[in-house]
Amino acid sequence: MTEPTVALDVQNVSKTYAAVRAVDDLSFTVRKGEIFGLLGPNGAGKTTTIRMALDIIKPNGGAISILGGPMTEEKKSRIGYLPEERGLYDDMTLWDTLLFLGQLKGLSGATARERAEVYLREVELWDARERKIEALSQGMNQKAQFVAGTMHEPELLIIDEPFSGLDPVNTRLIKGLLLRMRDQGTAIIMSTHQMQRVEEMCERILLIDRGERVLYGPLEEVRQQFAANAVEVELRGEVDEVPGVRRISRHDGAYRMTLEAGVQPEALLQTLVDMPEVTVERFERVQRSLDDIFVQVVGREVDDGEEGA
Amino acid sequence: MRKSWLVAASTYRRRVRSTAFLLLTFGIPAMMVIAGVIGFITAIGGDVRRIGYVDQTGELAPVDSVVVDNRTLHLSSYADEGAARLALDSGEIGGYLVIPESYLREGSPGARPTYYGEESPGARLEEGMTAFMRRALLPDAPEWALDRLDNPSDITYVARQTGERVAQGPALVVRVAMPAVLAMVFVLSVFASANQMGSAVVREKEQRAMEMVVTSISAQELVVGKVLGMTLLTATQVAVWLLGAMIGLGLALSGALQLQDLSIPWSALLWAALLGIPGYFLYAVIGAGLGVIAGDKQSARQLSGMLGFIGMGPLYVLGAIIDNLGGPLGVALTLFPLTAPTIALFRMTLSEVPTWQLGASLVIILITLAVSVWFVARIFRAAMLIYGQTLRPRQILQALREA
Repeated sequence: MTEPTVALDVQNVSKTYAAVRAVDDLSFTVRKGEIFGLLGPNGAGKTTTIRMALDIIKPNGGAISILGGPMTEEKKSRIGYLPEERGLYDDMTLWDTLLFLGQLKGLSGATARERAEVYLREVELWDARERKIEALSQGMNQKAQFVAGTMHEPELLIIDEPFSGLDPVNTRLIKGLLLRMRDQGTAIIMSTHQMQRVEEMCERILLIDRGERVLYGPLEEVRQQFAANAVEVELRGEVDEVPGVRRISRHDGAYRMTLEAGVQPEALLQTLVDMPEVTVERFERVQRSLDDIFVQVVGREVDDGEEGA
Repeated sequence: MRKSWLVAASTYRRRVRSTAFLLLTFGIPAMMVIAGVIGFITAIGGDVRRIGYVDQTGELAPVDSVVVDNRTLHLSSYADEGAARLALDSGEIGGYLVIPESYLREGSPGARPTYYGEESPGARLEEGMTAFMRRALLPDAPEWALDRLDNPSDITYVARQTGERVAQGPALVVRVAMPAVLAMVFVLSVFASANQMGSAVVREKEQRAMEMVVTSISAQELVVGKVLGMTLLTATQVAVWLLGAMIGLGLALSGALQLQDLSIPWSALLWAALLGIPGYFLYAVIGAGLGVIAGDKQSARQLSGMLGFIGMGPLYVLGAIIDNLGGPLGVALTLFPLTAPTIALFRMTLSEVPTWQLGASLVIILITLAVSVWFVARIFRAAMLIYGQTLRPRQILQALREA
């Protein structure tokens, strides 16, 4: 019997707070060995969805299967969670904190000590192990929380804004660790407003707004779906007008051509190749950034404030 | 249960090192020991070895020395107060006693001896002067007769039902007062714990660690762990206080109480443990629940204060209960789980409490404790993620439904 590849399966889940429908008939799956982007504006229902998945709160309807079935106490040791509202005990040393949280996740005292040392060295916090949490800088604290949430090497990691408060060097460090975990088979659900990181790291995404699913699937398919009907072309030679092109503009030495309705990029390429006065050096369909897609779909700007629901 | 112990050990280690805990824990017994040292110094009263006396009656037998607690008090007789004063001024004696001429005369009850000295006489000197007066009054009496006169009614009490024998004096006081002392220790522990428990939970919420922790451990295990940790902390505190009190009291009594005289009321101790320990846990669990409900430390202190007030409650109605020990109020408060340990122990101080009442009280406390853990765990689970606001009753009900 093969091991199931789905780490989290959410089917038709809903959650209502008083008169507010925080999550409405939401369905998605997360597979082992992928980084899954959970996106949405503030108050969209991301945190509520995560908390329901982890059985912190109960849904009003629908079904959730985590690591092959309902949540159990035993499964808690196979899951890592770094919530948005996270912190560690200020009055404990970093070392004691990691041993405590590691053992709560089922590690033996000896294993917790071994793992804590390995991970602290990896995130360059080994020399700070005897410092109290309150004495750590914001970046050090973020890395300490990351270690606390991952040192038990979970099969499913749910992580909310993993890069907030990190400088570029530490961002790269944490990104590398997440990619390594993915390669080792961990399913990672990453909730973030940093669309650039999603584009760099996620295979699939779910965008929710007002509790409803608005975009779901492989990142490339989503981008194709929202691809602008435009191409970017580098030419040797000059053109002012091209049949089938509605508008031509120049960007950094390249032409951006917006196609008329019904005209395919392949047809335009053929037209340009057939034009004797120019030679095509580069032809590329214009991809829209995930940030643009997000704004278009959600209809409002993203800010980095706290999420309410 | 392993995870509960991990939480308990972590909670204990974090708080036992805090400055506030160390100050409170060691400050109070330090004061008790200082008070004991002062009492001890007062008791030995400068340890005067020789005093003079002026016998104005002319009828007392001369006495050279008496022995008290294996120490000899020497006595010098002087013809008049002037001679005695000169001896005192020269340092020959530590003080002198003047026995007035009317001392032995019938119808002069106010005629008492007067002591003149540099310092107030300590307990040992007082005993020495009493021994001197006995010997001076009855020079021919045998030693055993003087001992009898010293304590003519040294009674041993035998309990009718249990046959327990208790000697009169400090031992009897200890025997009778111990349940009341235990009741006071319980009230003190509950009061300290109620305040600490709520604040500890609020602090935990403020540090935003709760959401990570509950994905590692069940709410019930977390509540039990927190309560165990805080209980160990309070137990440490109370143990240090009791040790300080015992040292202080021991110094102050300075040998007045012999250990072999002590009669330990084992039955009261047993019931104190049976009712007090789960009774304490009950308060701690409720304190934890109030900490979850409270949004900030100030609200937690207010809610904990109410709980502490309930804990102190039996003291306010003690008068009414003492008036009618087996009356409806006494029995009702013995069966009510939050007042049971205190009231039962106070009643045991003064009378026999029927075993069925103590047994029923224990069962009620245990049931209430189990229900409270279940109830608080549910609130904990749902409401721990609501930061900075005190929950209204409607929100608590909703939290219970959603947990």
